[in-house]
Amino acid sequence: MKDTILQVKALSKRFGGLLAVSQLDFEVREGEILGMIGPNGAGKSTTFNVIAGAYAADAGEVSFSGEPILGRAPHQIAMRGIMRTFQHNRPFAGMPVIDNVMVGAHTRFKAGLLSVLFGNAFQEETEKRKKAESLVDFVGLGELRDADVATLSFGQGRLLEIARALAGEPRLILLDEPAAGLTPDELARLAHIIRGIAARGIAVLLIEHDMHFLLPLAHRVVVLNFGAKIADGLPAEIRADPAVMDAYLGSHAAAH
Amino acid sequence: MNYLRWIGAFLLLAGLPFFLGSYYNDVYRKMLLWVTLALGYNFLFGIGGQVSFSHFAFYGVGAYSIVIFLIQLQLPLPLAILLGIALCVLVALAVAIPSTRLEGFYLALATLALAQLFVVVLNEGGAVTGGTGGLANYRLPEVFGMRIVGPWYTAVIVILLLITFFILLRLDRSWFGRACRAVRDNPEAAAAMGVDVARTKVIAFTLTSALAGVAGMVYAFVDNTVNPPIFGLENAFLILFMVIVGGAGRHAGAVIGAVLLFLLPFVLSPLVGHHHVLVFGLLVLGAILAAPKGLIGFYDSIRKNF
Repeated sequence: MKDTILQVKALSKRFGGLLAVSQLDFEVREGEILGMIGPNGAGKSTTFNVIAGAYAADAGEVSFSGEPILGRAPHQIAMRGIMRTFQHNRPFAGMPVIDNVMVGAHTRFKAGLLSVLFGNAFQEETEKRKKAESLVDFVGLGELRDADVATLSFGQGRLLEIARALAGEPRLILLDEPAAGLTPDELARLAHIIRGIAARGIAVLLIEHDMHFLLPLAHRVVVLNFGAKIADGLPAEIRADPAVMDAYLGSHAAAH
Repeated sequence: MNYLRWIGAFLLLAGLPFFLGSYYNDVYRKMLLWVTLALGYNFLFGIGGQVSFSHFAFYGVGAYSIVIFLIQLQLPLPLAILLGIALCVLVALAVAIPSTRLEGFYLALATLALAQLFVVVLNEGGAVTGGTGGLANYRLPEVFGMRIVGPWYTAVIVILLLITFFILLRLDRSWFGRACRAVRDNPEAAAAMGVDVARTKVIAFTLTSALAGVAGMVYAFVDNTVNPPIFGLENAFLILFMVIVGGAGRHAGAVIGAVLLFLLPFVLSPLVGHHHVLVFGLLVLGAILAAPKGLIGFYDSIRKNF
């Protein structure tokens, strides 16, 4: 079995009277695609935001490569090698596609400000730009490299989010419902890209509420309902789990 | 070669005043200083998205500090310059560190307060600042045994402008410039990409404020007088208008805005007399409404369509 890269233990997060995440335990292993599913409001995005440092947790532990990361600011977590996408696209609207991706590489620049002003930071800039270009190609936006981000379609914006996160050379990438709102063609392309990411040795934590997209893609799946984990296992086990069928698939499966 | 362009720009800009009379040389110098200020403010406001009203006050801090350190206290020039920069950096940090941790609106308020406070300090500063009358009747001491006057001093201003532009251009084309734009466009996404939002804002604010301070030091020997009314709020707003009218976020926009808005009153006042302030205001408003992306944005859209 591969080493654990992200370990979540007894994580809880409360919003006022609502317990959004309750005593959650799970782990992500090196280079795997871990799917996290559950109905709307199950606590998936909250979990995700706590790991990324956007929300503070009320209790529990999160460690990345053995180092506790709860309480760290989002930029510190990015620096340690966890990059994320947003459920609603958040491009940098005043920059072309390639520069958006270059921002993703922010933590990987070594040149300090003095070297930017008077030294030779130019070489590093060129080198990082080449890498960013290859990532833009990887997600299939090569022809839109210098386009204004305002001209991108919703689906292209999704892919830009992924390229931007990859530019940070993460060891774990958090994808927040990347499939939502995509056309069937775009879904197929997205699945291909996500497999490609895992093939590069980057672990993927993939939040999704579309089972049909997630189950064929994920190596393992965690199922949440009302903030608590109700199942954890291989996609085939999840498909066969009566608790999951009941809580989540029930009406859905019956309709098919 | 790249550096040949900079030398060419220097020769052109510094050569011109040798063919101007002393009146036009004075107008030209002040125009160059406005361009320098507008370039710095464009980085802070247009690229960094920080609405600050203290940029012109830092120009004043620089101007007053060089006169106080160099003339009043008789310190050597390099030390006086360093102390002036240090003072600008300290004041900038004192304002930026608390206010950039809050939302953008608070920076605007804090810098507005700073700009007001600065004028009060100047008026109440007694012998140090010369009070309401300011400081006058001083001259730039000889540098290496030379008196730098007339068009030669204009060359100093050109060097200031080009160094400022060089620094801003380098910053803009680096990870730092992108981080500034990212913070302006979407702070949460910037943080998720690993950008330390507060630190980026503080550095951008402090750096551009220090650049304004250095410009102020050069300005102090243009009129050889510094007094409180020069550094009032009117000019703080003018610099904001220059950047907006020219096109926020674009170096060329800052240059165009500064040149046009600086020269406009010279054209207007013979035409409309003392109503020129009103006409000026209407023209600025019209420009902002007609070209929300500034004159440089307007120029781009014309070029795209033809």
